[in-house]
Amino acid sequence: MKFLKRINRNYLWLFTSILLVLSLAEFVVLKYIMLEETKESFYDQENLIIKQVKETGETPNIFPIVEVKKVSRLSMNRPLFREIFVEDETDGELEPFLEYSNQVEINDEVYFIRLRHSVVENDDLMILIAWTFFILLISTLGISYLINRRLNKTVWADFEENLRIMESFSFSRNENLQLIKTTTEEFERLNTVVGSLTKRLEADYLAQKEFTENASHEIQTPLSVVLLNLEEILQQEINKETFERVVSTIDAVKRLSSLNQSLILIAKIENQQFIPEKVQSFNTTLKQKTEEFASLFESKNLTLEIEEEGVFEMNMHGQLADILIANLLSNGINHNITGGSVYIYLKENEIRICNTGKPNALGNDTIFNRFTKGNEKSYGLGLAIVKKICDTHHLKIQYTHDEFHCFTIFKIPLES
Amino acid sequence: MKILIVEDEPGLQTAMCSFLEKEDYICESANSFQKANEKISLYEYDIILLDITLPDGNGLGLIETVKAHNPMSGLIIISAKNSLDDKINGLDLGADDYLTKPFQLSELNSRIKAVIRRRQFGGSKLIRFNEISVDTDSKSVHVHGQEIRLTKKEYDILLFFIINKNRVLTKAAIAEHLWEDNIDMADNYDFIYIHVNNIRKKIESFGGTDYLKTIYGMGYKFTDR
Repeated sequence: MKFLKRINRNYLWLFTSILLVLSLAEFVVLKYIMLEETKESFYDQENLIIKQVKETGETPNIFPIVEVKKVSRLSMNRPLFREIFVEDETDGELEPFLEYSNQVEINDEVYFIRLRHSVVENDDLMILIAWTFFILLISTLGISYLINRRLNKTVWADFEENLRIMESFSFSRNENLQLIKTTTEEFERLNTVVGSLTKRLEADYLAQKEFTENASHEIQTPLSVVLLNLEEILQQEINKETFERVVSTIDAVKRLSSLNQSLILIAKIENQQFIPEKVQSFNTTLKQKTEEFASLFESKNLTLEIEEEGVFEMNMHGQLADILIANLLSNGINHNITGGSVYIYLKENEIRICNTGKPNALGNDTIFNRFTKGNEKSYGLGLAIVKKICDTHHLKIQYTHDEFHCFTIFKIPLES
Repeated sequence: MKILIVEDEPGLQTAMCSFLEKEDYICESANSFQKANEKISLYEYDIILLDITLPDGNGLGLIETVKAHNPMSGLIIISAKNSLDDKINGLDLGADDYLTKPFQLSELNSRIKAVIRRRQFGGSKLIRFNEISVDTDSKSVHVHGQEIRLTKKEYDILLFFIINKNRVLTKAAIAEHLWEDNIDMADNYDFIYIHVNNIRKKIESFGGTDYLKTIYGMGYKFTDR
């Protein structure tokens, strides 16, 4: 939920409840004030009547609101208020009235005075208040909507823009994080914090990048010296035993070098040094690679079948796409049996590479772990690299085996 | 042919130099950016082998000097960084090739020869070995003047053999030459045996001599000695 929407929703609840409580209070208070006002006007009227009776001796009578009559003796010791309903002569409806009755002594005679005053009906009062409530609510929401829209365009605009900048930022592009300056204190604080965090992360990133590059250089260079010298020993007249020893030493050194390169590659993938540069069609990559590997297929007498139901496309660094496919294919060739087959199936969101092979060479769970070996010659890193590439590209990889050993890559749908 | 090796590791420098001298090149070396810059500005070289990671600077920075003072020389970058970006960068800046450490001398030899072939405008693209001649332009092979049909891989292997004649090449070295980055693939080298046998048969069927000697079942040597 967007921040402003959340705020608006909270506002709505808050205003509604506040207004409800206020309306109830308003009802009670209004009712009380109106009653008091009416009572006061009764006293004023009574005084006027007393004055008139005193001066003229006339007793005014206006039904149903004023009634004055002479009574024999004083029977009430204080004025009396009560609410009554009187039938309206025009429409026959019962209207609420407040009635005031009192007995007063004027010129030694006792008069009974009854005054009535129509009061506002409860229903009318409630409708009035409900309307006020409604209008207030609507206008508050309207105003808050307008204010928010303005805020969105001014205050939040910088924030949104900064968010966009941060989302598209990547260390590997060698650029600085340039956030827009804002006048809002909190946002500026956020910018400062994000800025210093990024600086620290960038330092880590660069250190890691430098390490992988140095590690590569520092290890590969001496290995080159070893290999070149061993290669020169092979050129001399040597016996079979020595030749075998040198060749197996060369193999071991190459294994060491390839292991080092694989580990560095994994570190680079983890450090996200490969920026997805363009959309790769894996159908094309697969065809290129199977052509390149044609003689390997031949040497094991493997049949290759490619079924294309759709085009699997993905934004990925070209080198990684190549490695992903090459590793899966070489796995399918290396762990195959002579005269076996490799079956490749492609559709829009799925790549499946299956091969015949010995029954269950490896467990489902351990197959992607580093250094899990299917046979003594492979280095166990090819599939770990594949897994790492999948993990960093919203891809899921699955290994299944029955008659065929299958690796299936799925696109994980991006949550919006 | 004069070659300059820009490389700070003395062991590597010596091994490369002694190999290249055996191949009849004149070899000079520089172990720092500064020295290399000086040599490139002062002397002329046919080929420059350039390590990117130097103690006092990035080797890529030397490409400019090469282009200014040695525009005719071939340039091969040698780097431990197996990074595509560096490779593309280097080639964009004008390098002829890019070789990743660790490499083999036979591979270096084959790359140097390829660069020389490409650099010699109007020069012969024909490589001869007795009755066998390889035209690197049309990628065709003739034995006693008759063309023999080879697959792309067979052609690559034969050219690799002829360029590295009289040298022992292990199956692994041949596989690496064919596969480069995908050397992981070469789980077994049976396919090399198949290719080599095909090449033998094809050359012999046109009356050619079998110059391929198998060395202890682990390597080959292309030689007429």
